[in-house]
Parts: sequence; structure tokens; C-alpha cells
Amino acid sequence: MVRALVITHGGIGEELVRVTGMILGPVPGLTAMSNDGKSAVDITAQIKQWQVEVPDGEGGVDSARASKLILLDDYGGSCATSAQLACGQDPDTAIISGVNLAMLLGFVTWRESGDFEELVGKVVQKGREAIILVGGR
Amino acid sequence: MPVILARIDDRLIHGQVTVGWSERLRPDRILLANNAIAADPWQTKVYSSTVPPDIEVSILPVSKAAASLAAPERLDEQVLLLAGSPEEMAELVRMGVPVREVNVGGLHFGAGKREMLPFVYVDHQDLKAFARLLEMGMSLSAQQVPGGREYLIDQEQIQEMGEKF
Repeated sequence: MVRALVITHGGIGEELVRVTGMILGPVPGLTAMSNDGKSAVDITAQIKQWQVEVPDGEGGVDSARASKLILLDDYGGSCATSAQLACGQDPDTAIISGVNLAMLLGFVTWRESGDFEELVGKVVQKGREAIILVGGR
Repeated sequence: MPVILARIDDRLIHGQVTVGWSERLRPDRILLANNAIAADPWQTKVYSSTVPPDIEVSILPVSKAAASLAAPERLDEQVLLLAGSPEEMAELVRMGVPVREVNVGGLHFGAGKREMLPFVYVDHQDLKAFARLLEMGMSLSAQQVPGGREYLIDQEQIQEMGEKF
């Protein structure tokens, strides 16, 4: 199972993950992290810790070598910089900025089918397609 | 080159700097004085990539940052100067960086640090460097973002904080 970490400012990530669970049911392996009150060094260390965590029920899996996704709220902030410093050169981790609810719903729906590159592409595409000028003016 | 903001921030280049202060102050260049990042091409690339394209960026060791501010070809540039710790900022001031005020933008919690202000956690080394900055004639104020609450830091507060350890 592909894991994902949503790293954001404030409580954005935690709420996105919570609402994803409200819509799709329990979402194991989808975790949120906030940068609140943390230095860049601490954020980077926590991301590295997440990278090597073994998910519940996958005791035998070499988690550090499994494909993983990091989703960020905004490129250019401490979350994005720390994510790049922690795993920007890791071939098993993809980092995407601009997370929204549609991306998480898509990720959870598709993560067990198809290959990882395809999944990453679909999540990015879903995020872009979710931005719609709806009307109302 | 004029330093329009000299900021101590352990997150270094991040949103409060590249969006918050840069939108307000419109610097020509962000100069990050940091030995470890300047010595690592990968970290230099990551931090540089987060700066908006209309702002130049330099990441230099502390010892070279002060000299670069005096370079004659850059006398007209407005610079936002960043250091990751009070000690590094005190060293920049000692080397003659032309500033009178230092902004303490964020020092987050870490081992051995205690809360001085809601976004300023310090240890003895930080307090010593704050005191040095004041002794060198700097005024010190803590403020995260433009328009945010500003807290002046004086010798008395530094001494009081030191007694809490």
C-alpha cells in the first residue's frame, strides 16, 4: 500500500485527512503533519522518521524502500523545503505541492491499482481538474 | 547595499520571508548567511528555488556575507538579510554589516530551549548573542510578519530570561 504524508501549515492537513476519512472510511497510511511551532530542522527530522515507519499490519515490508507520496499545501514554505531536504533525492518518494481534497480522495481510491508513476500523474491531474471557476457572479 | 531588514529566523527562507516581508518591503535580494547551507549545493538549490523569480538570492557563509554587502557593484540593492541564529547575526554585525535594528522572526522550540515569547525559544547561547547585539548598538524586536505584534527585547528581559534556566 502506498503511504502518503500531508505536510501543511496549521491544521490544514489534519482536517483534509479527517474529511477524506469521513468520505471514504478509514484511511490507513494517510497521515498529516503540521509545521506549527517547529524549526526547519525538526520538520525535516520528522519527515525522515515517517519515511522509515512501518505501517500497521505490514510488519515485514521494507517500508523505507516502498513508494511514498508527500503532499504539501504551498511550495516555497518551510514544509516544502523540509520535504525536499528530507527526501527530494529519494527515488521512492514523490513530492507534490498544492494539495486539495480531490487529490486525497483520488489518491486513496487509486493507490492500490496501477504503478506508482501513473498514480502520481493521476493525483496531480485530479488536483488541477478540481480547480474550477464555478460561477456565481 | 542597504539592508532593509536583518532577520533572525531558524526556518531561514520560507513563506513569512518570501511572501510576508518581501511583499511589504520589495527587496532586490535575499541574502542568507549560513555556513552549512552555503557549503552544500543541494541545500543551496532547494532554498534558492523557493525565492520568487523577481528577487535575487545569495546564500553565503557568514564570513563572506558581510563582505558581499559592501561590494561596490551592488550599492543600490535593497537587501533582506537572514541568519538562522542570534549568534550568526551577532557575528554579521561584528563584521560591520550596516544595520541598526534586528528583527527576531522565529526561533522554534528545541532541546534545551525555553519560551521567551510565543515564537521565540532560546537557550543561554541565544541570550548571550542577544546581549551582544544590544551592546553593539542594535535595537532588537521580535515580530513574525508585517503588521503582526511587535515585542521589544531589552537587556532587562534578557537578564530575567537568563535567570529562568
